[in-house]
Amino acid sequence: MDNTNSDFDRSTHLLNLIEESVQVGTWEVDIKTMDTTWSKATYEIHEVEENIKPSFDDAINYYKDPKSLQILTEAFTACIEEGKRFDLELELTTAKGNKKWVRAVGVSEFKFGKCIKVSGVFQDITEKTRTLQTIALREEELQKTFEYAGNGMAIVHLDGSWVKVNNQLCTMFGYSEEELLQKTFKDLTYHEDMESSNMLVNSLLNLEIENKQMEKRYVHKNGDIIWTLLNTSVIKNDDGTVRHLVSQISDITLMKKAEERISALHKVTKEQNDRLLNFAHIVSHNLRSHSGNLEMLLDLMKYEVPEATENSFFPLIGDAVNSLSETVSNLNEVAILNTQIHKELTEVSLHTIVEKAIGNVKGTILETHAVVNNEVAESLKLKTVPAYLDSIILNFLTNALKYKKETEAPIINLRANFSKDKEFIILDIRDNGMGIDLERHGKKLFGMYKTFHKHKDSRGLGLFITKNQIEAIGGHIEVKSKINVGTTFSLYLKHEKN
Amino acid sequence: MKKINITYIIDDDPIFVFGLKKMLEHANFCNEFSVFNNGEDAIEALKPIIKTGVDFPELILLDLNMPIMDGWQFLDEFIKEKPTKKTLIYIISSSIDPVDIEKAKEYENVSSFVIKPITRDKIKYIAEEIHVLVDDNINK
Repeated sequence: MDNTNSDFDRSTHLLNLIEESVQVGTWEVDIKTMDTTWSKATYEIHEVEENIKPSFDDAINYYKDPKSLQILTEAFTACIEEGKRFDLELELTTAKGNKKWVRAVGVSEFKFGKCIKVSGVFQDITEKTRTLQTIALREEELQKTFEYAGNGMAIVHLDGSWVKVNNQLCTMFGYSEEELLQKTFKDLTYHEDMESSNMLVNSLLNLEIENKQMEKRYVHKNGDIIWTLLNTSVIKNDDGTVRHLVSQISDITLMKKAEERISALHKVTKEQNDRLLNFAHIVSHNLRSHSGNLEMLLDLMKYEVPEATENSFFPLIGDAVNSLSETVSNLNEVAILNTQIHKELTEVSLHTIVEKAIGNVKGTILETHAVVNNEVAESLKLKTVPAYLDSIILNFLTNALKYKKETEAPIINLRANFSKDKEFIILDIRDNGMGIDLERHGKKLFGMYKTFHKHKDSRGLGLFITKNQIEAIGGHIEVKSKINVGTTFSLYLKHEKN
Repeated sequence: MKKINITYIIDDDPIFVFGLKKMLEHANFCNEFSVFNNGEDAIEALKPIIKTGVDFPELILLDLNMPIMDGWQFLDEFIKEKPTKKTLIYIISSSIDPVDIEKAKEYENVSSFVIKPITRDKIKYIAEEIHVLVDDNINK
C-alpha cells in the first residue's frame, strides 16, 4: 500500500466520520452524463440502500412536494446556466415514504464556459424545521389567544407601561390600543387601590411570589369605576431576573354591583326583622300591662263591689278580659320563641318524649277509646330543646285526638326514621282522623289564628307555635292529608351526632 | 307577725298603683305607702333617708319599664348609695322575658320577681312570704 493510497483512505475515512457526526452528506451530478453520485450520509437521508445507484430523475423524484420540486428545479437550472450557487430548504419524501426536511447546497463547476458538474452538501434538517414550525404554530396560537381572549390581557413593562394589550382590555377601559400603550397601568388605577396595587407589583418584582390575584378597581376613559379581578404573573429572563409582568384582567363590575345590592337588601331585611321583633315585644309587653290591669281590676271589683257581679254584663266582661289575656299570652309565646334561638341543646330519647306526651293525653285516649302506638326505636337519641319537643309532640297528639272521625276511634301511629342524608330524624305522626283539605288550606295551615275545623276549642294557634318551635330547633314540618282518611305530619328534627 | 311600716311603690301605671294599693290595704300588711312614678323620684326621696336612717322603707315594690329612670337604673343607683338598713325589694313587672328574670337574679338585693297581673291570691301569698322575710331580718 503506497502513501498516496493510504492518505486517500485516511481522508475518506475522516470525511465519513464528519458526515456521520454532523449528518451532512454530499452529492455530485456530472452534467454531461447526468450521472449522479451520493455519499453514504446522503443515501441514509434518502433511506436508500447504498448499492443502488440513483439516476438524476430518481433523485429529483424524491421531492413529491410540488413547491419544493419547483424551487429545486429552478435553482438547479440557474446553477447550470448562470453558475449561481444555491442553498435551499426542501421537503423530501424518502424511499420509505417518510417526509423529511433537507438542506441542499449546490455549486457548479465550469470548464470552457460550460458547466460540467454540480456538487454540494445535503443535510437532514427535519428536526430543526419541525421545532421551528411548532414554535411558529405555538406563537400564533398564543398570539390569537392573547388577541381574542374573553379577558383583558396585557404584558406590562417593569416601569408600569403597557408593552402589549389585547382587544378586550381596550374595550374594557374604553381606550384605543394606541392610547393605551401611551399610558401606564398606574394612570388607570383607581386611587383607592393604588397602594395595594403597588404592593402587589413590588412583591412580584422582588420575586417574593410569582403569581398574585387581587380585586382591583380601574377607571374607564369615561370616568366610571371598573371592578376587576386581576391576576398577574412574572415572566423571567434566562438569568432569573424579571423580564416583564403578564396580567389577566376580568371585568367583575356587574358581579360587584349585584353583590352590593344583595348586601344592601340583606341589611334592610335585617333591620326590618329587628324592628318587627322589637314591635312584637313592645306590643306584647304593653298589651300585657293593660290586660293585666283589667284582670286585676275585675278581681278587685268582685271583692269590693260584690253586687256588680250580679249584673249580667259582668261575666261577659270577664270572658272578654280572659280572652284578651290569653291572646296576649299567645303573642308573647311567639315573640319569645323568636328570640330564644340560642337555647341549650340536650340529648334526649325520642321514644321517651313520645311516651311522656302520650301520658299527658291519657285522659282523652281513654275517653275516645284511642289507640296510640309509639313505634319509635328506644335507641333513637337526638340533641334538642326538650321543652320544645315535648310541646311539639303533645300538640300533634292533641290535634290528632281532637280532630278524630265522629264514627271511629282514633288510631295514631308514631314512627321515626332517618332522612337519606342522615341530617334529620323524621318523626311521622299518622292518624285516621277527619283529614285536612290541603288544596284549600295548605298554604295557611301553619298560619296564626287559622282554623280548619268547626271544633269547639279550635284556637288555630297550636300549629303556628309548633311550626315556630320546630324551626327554632332547626327542623321543619311536612304534611300529607286526605279528607276522611287521615293526616300524617312528618317532623324533620335536626339530628346532631356531636 | 310584725306589720310592715313603710312600703315604696315605684310604678308609672296609675291603674296598677290604684289596684295594688287596694289589695295591700285589704291584706292589711303595711302602715304606710309612698308612691313614685319613676326610679328617679324614688332615689331622690331615698337619698336623705339612707343618710339619716329615719323612715326607711322596709319593702320596695319596683316596676321595670318606667320613663326617666327605669327599674334597673334605680337598682344600680340604690346600690351606689350603700344603704345600711336592710330593705326587701320585689320586682313587679309585666315582663315575661327570661332575660329580665335572669338579670333580676344577678341583684342580691332583689328578693323576688313577680309577674303582673297581681291578684288578691298573689298578694296574700306575697304578704306571707314578706312577713317571714321581715321577721328573719329582725331576728338577725
